[in-house]
Amino acid sequence: MLITLRHIQKIYNTGEVEVKALNDLNIEIEQGEFVAIIGQSGSGKTTLLDILGCLSHPTSGDYWLDESHITTLPDSELTTIRNRQIGFIFQTFHLLPRKSALENVQLPLMYAGATRLQQQSRARELLTTVGLHDRVNHHSNQLSGGQQQRVAIARALANQPALLLADEPTGNLDSQSGSDILSIFEELHHQGQTIIMITHDPLIAQRANRRITLLDGRVLADEPTESPKEPMLQEN
Amino acid sequence: MLGAIFRDALKNLSSNLLRSGLTMLGVIIGVASVIAMMAIVEGGQVWLVSSIERLGTNLLFVWKKRLTIEEKRMFAGRNLKLRYDDALAIRDRFPELQVAPIIQIEGHVKAGERDYSGRITGTSPEFSPIRNFHPAEGRFLQQSDLQTWKRSAVLGKTIAEVLYGSKSAVGEQLKIGEHRFTVIGVMEPKGEVYGQDRDEMIFIPATTALRFFKGDDKIRSMVIHVPNRKQMEEVTHKLHQFLIQRHDGVDDIRVRNQGDFLGAVEQTIWTFRIVLGGVAIVALLVGGIGIMNIMLVTVTERTREIGLRKAIGATRQNILLQFLIESTTISVIGGCFGVILGIIAAYGFGDFVAQSMPGGGDWGAVIEPEAIAIAFVFAVSVGIGFGLFPAMKAAKLDPAEALRYQ
Ligand SMILES: Nc1ncnc2c1ncn2[C@@H]1O[C@H](COP(=O)(O)OP(=O)(O)OP(=O)(O)O)[C@@H](O)[C@H]1O
Ligand SMILES: [Mg+2]
Repeated sequence: MLITLRHIQKIYNTGEVEVKALNDLNIEIEQGEFVAIIGQSGSGKTTLLDILGCLSHPTSGDYWLDESHITTLPDSELTTIRNRQIGFIFQTFHLLPRKSALENVQLPLMYAGATRLQQQSRARELLTTVGLHDRVNHHSNQLSGGQQQRVAIARALANQPALLLADEPTGNLDSQSGSDILSIFEELHHQGQTIIMITHDPLIAQRANRRITLLDGRVLADEPTESPKEPMLQEN
Repeated sequence: MLGAIFRDALKNLSSNLLRSGLTMLGVIIGVASVIAMMAIVEGGQVWLVSSIERLGTNLLFVWKKRLTIEEKRMFAGRNLKLRYDDALAIRDRFPELQVAPIIQIEGHVKAGERDYSGRITGTSPEFSPIRNFHPAEGRFLQQSDLQTWKRSAVLGKTIAEVLYGSKSAVGEQLKIGEHRFTVIGVMEPKGEVYGQDRDEMIFIPATTALRFFKGDDKIRSMVIHVPNRKQMEEVTHKLHQFLIQRHDGVDDIRVRNQGDFLGAVEQTIWTFRIVLGGVAIVALLVGGIGIMNIMLVTVTERTREIGLRKAIGATRQNILLQFLIESTTISVIGGCFGVILGIIAAYGFGDFVAQSMPGGGDWGAVIEPEAIAIAFVFAVSVGIGFGLFPAMKAAKLDPAEALRYQ
């Protein structure tokens, strides 16, 4: 099992009000799965992703990622795990301004301690796989949204993470660019990459192989997605 | 990684040149003022010390203390005042010392059509070697001039030119007041020493001065040369005691050696150092606060960047270092400009003093390498010190919250 969550709770304390963002969550995810997380706004999707990505601690509960008991580890080790085991993709891309595509992809490699030469050749290679070999020296403000998100994917894959986390990766994109991104995800999935993706769009969730629905911080449904859409269209 | 962080810092600073420049300005002014002030104070010290040393070396100065009315009444009838006899007595008692009495009178000097009003100095032959001030033409006063109240005069260079133009003054006649004198020598040019223009001096025998112009035997002061520098303190003391004894036990004189003057100068210089240094350091600290202010703004502006960097694997130390290097870069670059500006300001001030202060002709700014090093190290420390708090703030940010900061 790649991921095991046991009785995960996350409580935000904003002054007098206590918000139970996650309430006794139990989820297991296997190596190689492509999971879509859906749910209403405020249902706790991003909160869950933060915990899965070791960006924040749950208030209580246990989390194992690939043998590591995350909930017992100090911050310094979580940093290493984020760097080596996890790749993040955000709705707003989060590319650093004033840096080229290449430099953005180099960053996780730099923090992993690679030499400059290694960083550059690996980053170039990654940008090629996402189809941006002719855009390596462009800055983020010179790239379209879809291109920026592809740079972000390249960056997320830099250290060959065990887990790819995406929070509404297509939310800021037109449908064509969004579909391109999903094709990349599907391709990665075929190569055995574990992917967890938050989305609002049921059609996009359909392209994953498992769908977890959250409601008020609990799992409402956890099921395999029906057979992909294209074959259905063909049947009709 | 350090190289990459440093390149990032430069890129960030250059992406907002106006802001970086203004922040640096504080450091530049601070460093420049430290360097300029130190250079000016050091220059002042060199100037004062050399002025004192140009008075001649191994010298003692004896002059009358001003007594209060109370003291005057108390000591009425005793043998007070500094007299020509005192100088002679010192010569008898301490044969190894060279003694030059100094009498000053205001006089009107006339040579043909030209004239000059000013101060005339009565003294003895010893004055010339003691003060290391020699005639360029003719000769200085001799003992025989004093013994026979000769009306001989030795002129400073400027006086000789004023009275006789380019022709030789030696052998010429002149009148001081009603009395006819013969010019026996013209001094070498010496310029200004300690606020007194040596080239405007007129020397006549001490005895002549007393007899023709004063009518008593009171002298203004004495300059005494002590052959052995190590004996300065001892001789100062003995001489003082000797004079008190001669003055019926009243201590109405001061005996000072150059060491005393140098000590006083040193003390004054230190006062300046502390006051001006304090001002300069305050300027630097204000520069540091400017850095801190801007770095806090920068950290806030770049909260999302910090969140992202942490998400992809930056440690606290990485983030801390990134912002520390940025603030240190500001202070290092500011420090470099500050050094340049400080040197320019110091020399500018040196020129200003040289031109505007009487006798300040050779007051140059003295820039010690230590001063530059101190100012620079201080600037860098300020950059690190004041950058530390914003950098720590950045390093401590929670990654999840920082990523979603609006
Ligand atoms: N930092 C926070 N402090 C306090 N409450 C928070 C914080 N972050 C999230 N919450 C609350 O926790 C709950 C879950 O939020 P979360 O962001 O996980 O929802 P979401 O499912 O991602 O919603 P959306 O689809 O709108 O992005 C919400 O009620 C939200 O108000
Ligand atoms: Mg969300």
